[in-house]
Amino acid sequence: MRHPFDRRAFLRGAVVGGAVAVAGGAGLRALLRQPRPWDEAAFRPPGEAHVAVLTASSYEGSLEATVLDGLRAIGADVRGANVLLKPNLVEFDPSTAINTEPRLIAATVLAFRRLGAASVVVAEGPGHRRDVQDVITRSGLAEAVADVDAPFIDLNAAPIRLIRLRSRYTDLKELWLPAPVLDADVVVSMPKMKTHHWAGVTLSLKNLFGTLPGRVYGWPKNILHWEGIEQSILDIAGAVRPSYAIVDGIVGMEGNGPISGEPVQMGILVFADDPVAADTIGASLMGFDPERIPYISEAGLFLGQTDRDRMQQRGEDPEGRMRSFAPPPLGDGIIGA
Amino acid sequence: MPEDAAHLLASLRNTDGGFGVGVGQPSETEPTVLAALALDDAGARGWLAEHQRENGSFSFGAGPYVNDSVTGLGALALEPGRERERALDHVESKRARRVDSTSAVPIDESAVGWGWAEGTASWVEPTATALWALRLMRPLSVAVKDAVALLRDRESVGGGWNYGNRVVLGEELPPFVQTTGIALVGLSGMDPDLEGRGLDTLSRLWRVESEGGLSLSTTLAAFRVHGRMHEARAVRSALERLVDRTELLGDGVALGWAALAMSDRLPGEDR
Repeated sequence: MRHPFDRRAFLRGAVVGGAVAVAGGAGLRALLRQPRPWDEAAFRPPGEAHVAVLTASSYEGSLEATVLDGLRAIGADVRGANVLLKPNLVEFDPSTAINTEPRLIAATVLAFRRLGAASVVVAEGPGHRRDVQDVITRSGLAEAVADVDAPFIDLNAAPIRLIRLRSRYTDLKELWLPAPVLDADVVVSMPKMKTHHWAGVTLSLKNLFGTLPGRVYGWPKNILHWEGIEQSILDIAGAVRPSYAIVDGIVGMEGNGPISGEPVQMGILVFADDPVAADTIGASLMGFDPERIPYISEAGLFLGQTDRDRMQQRGEDPEGRMRSFAPPPLGDGIIGA
Repeated sequence: MPEDAAHLLASLRNTDGGFGVGVGQPSETEPTVLAALALDDAGARGWLAEHQRENGSFSFGAGPYVNDSVTGLGALALEPGRERERALDHVESKRARRVDSTSAVPIDESAVGWGWAEGTASWVEPTATALWALRLMRPLSVAVKDAVALLRDRESVGGGWNYGNRVVLGEELPPFVQTTGIALVGLSGMDPDLEGRGLDTLSRLWRVESEGGLSLSTTLAAFRVHGRMHEARAVRSALERLVDRTELLGDGVALGWAALAMSDRLPGEDR
């Protein structure tokens, strides 16, 4: 049976594609649940996280140096590692800011190489558009990765393997995951900083939906919506376990994200060695209370750190960079960082 | 040249007779179905016969879910006979789960089509491929009317189709080329007004989304099925150039659609 959350915020009756809604979560209740919905042997209690918020006013100029500074600030060690960058590439609309900016992705490829990565690939399985070739070409990603001689892997079409889940928020028990994700030494989640009308925000955890192959889970990863978006986020994150997160907040999206919102000139990048910490800080920077975003608070119990007192923060003071994003429809309950 | 997509698709053939999504990948249903159709490949049909489920479907298990969305295409690919009838029986007997209309996603609750997985909601692409098979091989089935009703309900404002819905949270979802192309292939001859708006949309949009093999291939198939040969020739030229330039990234599904759309074996073509 799918693990129940108590709904308390903004996702009442959400429907996707005629599909049913997700349920929300009240983190502290999970502590009282026995058995807990994750294998305790597989998840060590969240430790200290390293987070850096750096200023980047635009996608022009020395982005590679900024990314390098950010990765060094969080102590990223990728020497000899095979690195997989997972950007957020949903569909392309030139009038808004849906996707992780290709220039940032290219700069990140170069930065990881500078840090000694053995290889760096860019991989994504877009959720809305089945024609990946069209999306990566028109968005500029194909050209950007070609310019830095990095391969792009379509995760909707990549070889897949079945793995057993170590958490039980959905009823799936197993996930088909792309071999390039499973075989990478280091997975880096690179989301756009944006609102999401069903999940509240898209940050580094929600971004992992794109690791699942559409040819199994449908478009837009429809089976996951039936299992509950938030439950699926938690199970996928528990399976993929990204090592680092780099949040593209140079231009974010507010309002009716993840597709139909409005661009926000935010001018920041968030780096973390813990995706939950990245999302905690990211949501706060957007003016939302991460404790009121059920999947983030739940993730703080076993996937990463939500306690700011246990985050070493470098760079900009997040409090000083906060901006009140317009919430997604039905999302008033998440305001109040 | 049309042989290029077919040649590239043929390179994905495995020793078991099936086709993979990429070079060296194990055989899967969707590229094998498309290869059986486009290449008239007996080995692919043999693989399909071996992998057809008891209930007649072609499917992919995902936990408690079974993605059976390729079964309509599978029926089109099989030779006349028992296997084809079993596949058609499955398509004809299955429907997506009926869901409520809400203020967030207003729909006609009575319109129920086909989903990606059994027991989930209706979507445009699986409904369109189910309709394609049924209108050609079981045209009198009530399932044909159901499929058309779903596509009517999910039509984007002004024509064409997004992937599943017309409006979400007050936003009118724009049509996509790939989904509009597939919907039109399925719909041919079923609803002239609906098809006319879809074809106009496709004529307007296909050049905008012409960097993708799947979009161009389904557009070509749609124009051919609807007898719009002038536009089909323009799309075919663009697709041939794209195949030549990019090999459609080696994607077996995109190559399968390209080879099929450029072949003389496109089911239901209006010649």
